[in-house]
Amino acid sequence: MTADMDARTRRVYLVLLLAPLFLLAFLYLYPLSRVLWLSVTVPTPGFGNFERLFTSSGIQNVIWTTLRICVFTTALALLIGYAVAYAALHLRGWRGELLLFFVLLSFWLSVLIRAFAWLTLLQSRGLINTWLMNVGIIDAPLTLIRNEFGVVLGMVHYMIPYAALPLYANMKGIDTRLVPAARGLGASPVQAFLKVYLPMSLPGLISAGILTFIFSLGFYVTPALLGGGKTIMISEYIAVQINETLNWGLGSMLATSLLLAIFALLAVLSFFVDLRKVFGVK
Amino acid sequence: MADNVTQTFQEDCLDILRQQTEGRTVNRRAFLSTLAVLGVSPALFRFTPAHAQAKELVIVNWGGDAVTAMNAAWAEPFNKGSAVKALIDGGGPSSAKIKAMVESGKVTWDAVDRNLIAALELGRQNLIEKIDYSIVDKSKVRPEHAGEWGLGSYIYSNVLAYEKGAFGGRTPKTWADFYNLKDFPGKRTMRKHIDGQLETALLADGVAPDKLYPLDVKRALDKIKSIKKDVIFWATGAESQQVFRDKEVTMGSVFNTRAIVAKRESKGAVDFHYNQASAWVGAWLVPKGNPAGKEVFKFMASAQDPAGQVELFKVMGNGPVNPAAAAMVPADLRPLDPGSPENYALQIPADPEWYAANSATVLNQYLEAIS
Repeated sequence: MTADMDARTRRVYLVLLLAPLFLLAFLYLYPLSRVLWLSVTVPTPGFGNFERLFTSSGIQNVIWTTLRICVFTTALALLIGYAVAYAALHLRGWRGELLLFFVLLSFWLSVLIRAFAWLTLLQSRGLINTWLMNVGIIDAPLTLIRNEFGVVLGMVHYMIPYAALPLYANMKGIDTRLVPAARGLGASPVQAFLKVYLPMSLPGLISAGILTFIFSLGFYVTPALLGGGKTIMISEYIAVQINETLNWGLGSMLATSLLLAIFALLAVLSFFVDLRKVFGVK
Repeated sequence: MADNVTQTFQEDCLDILRQQTEGRTVNRRAFLSTLAVLGVSPALFRFTPAHAQAKELVIVNWGGDAVTAMNAAWAEPFNKGSAVKALIDGGGPSSAKIKAMVESGKVTWDAVDRNLIAALELGRQNLIEKIDYSIVDKSKVRPEHAGEWGLGSYIYSNVLAYEKGAFGGRTPKTWADFYNLKDFPGKRTMRKHIDGQLETALLADGVAPDKLYPLDVKRALDKIKSIKKDVIFWATGAESQQVFRDKEVTMGSVFNTRAIVAKRESKGAVDFHYNQASAWVGAWLVPKGNPAGKEVFKFMASAQDPAGQVELFKVMGNGPVNPAAAAMVPADLRPLDPGSPENYALQIPADPEWYAANSATVLNQYLEAIS
């Protein structure tokens, strides 16, 4: 191929790129910039809305609840996802594939259906409580749902595929001969895992962690349904400001803060891990 | 709608109707034809210049079967005697949408199904028109239902519903019983929104009904916090009914329309009353610069006719706002009518002024208190 042809092909590609760029700019960047703009102009120009991050105990409460739930969710989803991915990779033959299939199956189910399924299972006259009472293990139903525990449970369930799949992809690239090698050189099973396998799966853990945490920040339906109305996370709070109190300045400030927080998080993480790899660009 | 955290009363009415349609209470053919109308009308109105539609009045409610119901109760009777035809559109006229529409200068709605609080909030922001009382009749509604920017269209209530068999033959009569977990055991359900909820706490705490407004927010929130551990907060009306079905709760602070459905469904095992209930009113609002201008008030005047309001009550459970309609309600349904003189006298009308001034702040305080 001549250099001339090469340049022409490149021009064609660039032109083809214009259409999606145009769409992104008008349907995504423009509305997004409007949201950013609202946060510093409504109701009065300035950073009054952002001040409330530091002065309003109500907002701090919501942010704290959100962070707490997201940290728990991410940690648990990573733990379970790691085990699932490891097992799926090391089970012989169809068993591993079956396990992956079940992970994918829950990945495809609607978030609403899952929330209602948990309600059916865990409410005070649900399957679990009824069974426990019939067997005589407990006298009064346990409060398994409609509290923060229920929210974390529902979110972890939703997040496991997001944690397990990147981990699976990462673990697939790990040379399986290294662990037996470590064992052969005298490491105990725990040592071999901690010193050899875990460090090699760390990039997978970080990318799965980022995905899970960022997704968790935006949860809306699961906390609303499984929290008994008592667990209010930031996205629900933003929705109330936009739809109910018409406090668009406050709502867009929180949305902006959320966005900036995620960017900041990614910036910090980019020191430790190649983000292009995390999002599958490379 | 199940995922909507801020479901309005009107949206819940739709859910109720949808349930009934599955049981074929609402005429199925009418329902299907409405769906066809729904599919066409939004496109029709969004792509046509707003002012070209002088022959039509676009009346906007919350969609679904409420389109059928309001069409039968209000639009059809009006259209018989009018050259300009009223068309019910299910666009969901939230304040956010009205605000966006008026500010963009492309108003396509003539009247919207909202309430008197929204009337004050939007009216004071100059986003809606004043009601023209030279065309609509002030005497056909109670004085508190004739607002400057909003005209009452139907009555609904926040009532105390309870499971009859849960308290050894005793019946909870007041909100004090609702907050009394010792003598009336079991969990409660309350709305995840302040409308009518703070009132329950203050009445339980001994505040006299005529001294209720302005609401003592701190006192109310403290009272609610005292039982919050045992409260499930409902976001959608369907949820409030479901927790009774699942026997998760023994008492609830719920919409009268939901209580009626729950009572019917449970064959009376779940019951309710209007004692100390909070009476609310749906209201017509006119977005500023509506396409049909003054013509819309003729529709409102026509909808004041008692017959149509009784029809709507039969289908949706929304009480007639015109006091003259109460006598036309069939005898067996009268105890359920929130607008009947007997039931209305038991209730305390919610104060739109207080809500308009405080709703935004107190809603956030409430969410903070219950979370």
